[in-house]
Amino acid sequence: MTNSLVVETKALTKRYGEFTALDSLSISVDAGQILGFIGPNGAGKTTTIRILVGLLRPTEGSATIAGVDCVRDARKLKRLVGYMPDIFGSYDNMRVTEYLDFFGAAYAIGRRQRVKRIAEVLETTGATYMKDLYVESLSHGMKQRIGIARTLLHDPQVLILDEPANGLDPQARIDMRGLLLQLAEMGKTLIVTSHILPELSRICDTVAIITHGKLRAFGTQAEIMRQITQRRTFEVQLVESEQLEGAESLIADSLGAEAESNVSGSTTEGLVRFDTDLSDRELAGILANLLDKGVLVSQFREIPTDLEDAFLSVTANDGDASSTGPPAEPASAQESA
Amino acid sequence: MINPVIYREFIGILRTRKALAMLIVMSIAFSLIVLLRWPTDGHVDLSGMRSQQVFRIFSYTLLAGVLFVIPAFPAVSFIQEKNNGTLALLLNSPLTSSSIMAGKLIGSFLFALLLLLTSLPAAAACYAMGGIDLHSQLGLLYLVLLICIVQYTTLALLISTFVQSSDAAVRVTYAAVFAFGILATGPYYLLQGQAGSLPLLAWWLRAGSPLTVIMDLVGHGDVGSLALLTEDSTLAEYLLLSAVSSIAFVTLTASRLSHRLFDRALSKGTVTDDRQVLARGFRRLFFLVDPQRRKAGIPFYANPVMVKEFRTRKFGRIHWLLRLVAGCAVLSLLLTFAATTGVVDWGVKTIGGFMVLLQIVLVVLITPSLASGLISAERESGGWELLRMTPMSPFKMLRGKLLSVIWTVGLILLATVPGYVVMIYIQPAMWLQVYMVMICLVLAAVYTVCVSAAVGSLFKRTATATTTCYIVLIVLFLGPLLIWMGRDAPFSHDAVEAALSINPTGAALSIIEAPGFEIYELAPGAWWISGIISLTALVCLGCQVWRISRPI
Repeated sequence: MTNSLVVETKALTKRYGEFTALDSLSISVDAGQILGFIGPNGAGKTTTIRILVGLLRPTEGSATIAGVDCVRDARKLKRLVGYMPDIFGSYDNMRVTEYLDFFGAAYAIGRRQRVKRIAEVLETTGATYMKDLYVESLSHGMKQRIGIARTLLHDPQVLILDEPANGLDPQARIDMRGLLLQLAEMGKTLIVTSHILPELSRICDTVAIITHGKLRAFGTQAEIMRQITQRRTFEVQLVESEQLEGAESLIADSLGAEAESNVSGSTTEGLVRFDTDLSDRELAGILANLLDKGVLVSQFREIPTDLEDAFLSVTANDGDASSTGPPAEPASAQESA
Repeated sequence: MINPVIYREFIGILRTRKALAMLIVMSIAFSLIVLLRWPTDGHVDLSGMRSQQVFRIFSYTLLAGVLFVIPAFPAVSFIQEKNNGTLALLLNSPLTSSSIMAGKLIGSFLFALLLLLTSLPAAAACYAMGGIDLHSQLGLLYLVLLICIVQYTTLALLISTFVQSSDAAVRVTYAAVFAFGILATGPYYLLQGQAGSLPLLAWWLRAGSPLTVIMDLVGHGDVGSLALLTEDSTLAEYLLLSAVSSIAFVTLTASRLSHRLFDRALSKGTVTDDRQVLARGFRRLFFLVDPQRRKAGIPFYANPVMVKEFRTRKFGRIHWLLRLVAGCAVLSLLLTFAATTGVVDWGVKTIGGFMVLLQIVLVVLITPSLASGLISAERESGGWELLRMTPMSPFKMLRGKLLSVIWTVGLILLATVPGYVVMIYIQPAMWLQVYMVMICLVLAAVYTVCVSAAVGSLFKRTATATTTCYIVLIVLFLGPLLIWMGRDAPFSHDAVEAALSINPTGAALSIIEAPGFEIYELAPGAWWISGIISLTALVCLGCQVWRISRPI
């Protein structure tokens, strides 16, 4: 895996009149890396992607892919990038091979080379058995595979996939994850957007979290966790739930004044949960204190923070808790599609 | 409690921009008809001739509106619900299929009534001019139109349950409306005066068309063939046929509104190459070009978009094109054969005129279904974004798309050449006329392709694009013929000539010296005008494609 910069945006901004869809976005992705692009609906993910693939023109800033300017060299760019939008773009009455043959011809791949290439991409995506099926008769998961096969046809350096795991069943999602990792191993650089954060967390090298057009966090998953989560969450599992109140007050005493709102217990589960920024040594003291006072503890564990927590933390700080907010992109942004 | 589907349907239609545009256009059109013909010289026309002339044009315009505007809404009604997923919700609700059907029918009917209401001021003005009977003419006209609305709304609703996409619904509905409303009158003119069951069938077929009743009503009944007005009216027969057909359409539609609508077997994708030798041999015998053979890749010299367009059309595959071309060739030969053997005593010129009209109708019917969705279908399906991501230039895409339509329409036109060849063989002196008619037909094809593609490119939804294209083309092609029907009175020779010049049909008919058209000098003026309109449409199309292709 090389570490040369493949995708780079500098202060990328897109405005529609008064509305700012994208505000000074600066990110970079190295070759062979997978970037997870996360944000609630209308955050500006698709706007960024469309600028990167040359379908939109930024108001300010620049974007390059493999040194090619996404605005000025749109034609060159098309050979470097494979783009899979969130809509499949199906054509009726066409078999899968005819569909891929058309896009191969559109990329000016020679006839013989095209036949070979279609067989290759179908094999890579595990879709060889679909070659004679009609495109409109494919299931969603099958269409996603064919969509990726289509983006691979011209052997692009960078793959930009908008919601590739959307609407897939668990097995298809696992297969998709394997496929994306396989593509990264082949040296492709991937930019993937998804709402299914656990999926992304398993495959991404780098993550960018964006809300209201602004980049909130960017880096490796570990870096992001460090940026976002200064406090850790712990759980104490008790053997006897009657000891819950005593355990709660002991933990609260150990944590000090700030503990009041952070310690919570569940009688049914026999569980005490608390947030803290104490060190491991200080936490060992809390456990020892519990045991000394005769509290029977079966487990004392830290709850690992994942990408979902990081995302929720960012969006909560941003005052936009989730994707339930109003769509941020105006009609003109949709029009550009 | 009011059926919720009625409310949803009626309000849903009223909320569309298409409905607003239709209401405005219809109001303006009807106002203009009366305004243009309102007496300004201070003389009273005691004979009532002038008001009769206005009434004729008014009646035909109203009928054209009912036939070609109103079915556009019910045509997409069920298929849109199905594609949006709301039909499944409706069928899962306590509403019965007949109440859903009734709701759709009444909702569409209410909107149609609203459209008819816009014509009332114009009708009142006609009546105020005098000479028109309130009951036997004006009242009857509206009665026929109301029945016609019910008949064609039920037909469109039925079609909407059969098709798989909104634009297919519009296409099939217009074809059906044209077949039942206008073409149904044709066989009678070919077979009248003969004995037997076939002419009787043709008479009933003609009686089922509202056009026949309106023609009787305005005094145009049977005048073309017998030179004298017949006293027989087909009103009673029309009422009977439309009632029977409407009930049949409603029953059939209601019976189709069940879970079976969602049962659609997916193709297994079997290809001939993988079949057994016997099956392969069998298909070899029956198909000149087997549609299920595995295709070779697109060759380097072919425009990939053109090939894609042919492949994605249901009837765009070569075996279908061959059938279409063969059908056209046989039809044109049959018509010419009819003229030569004296089956129809119309003479070569009348048959020629009939052929020209049939070809124009074919072109006007087929072309929008091919050209209107060239851009809008891509935008609707998301394919446009994928096409933009390829290194092809927007103009290469446009060229491929236009070529796919031009080839199809061109083949249809070429298929009718044998008929003209036979015509020249019978009357060699006609070669120049036939040659000029062919120019007119080619121009008509180019004209419809350009206008349809340009108008269709303005919309994001294929169904809207197709409907608008049909309406625009019907106005452009049928409008001048309506004005021609009022030749000399109420419209002057110059006015008719100017109206006929806006498309090449009039020129073709005048060149072939079809009855009623021989007095007009339309070529080459009409050619120039058609050329300019086509070029303008092409430029508009190019600009629109460029606009939606560039990054913004």
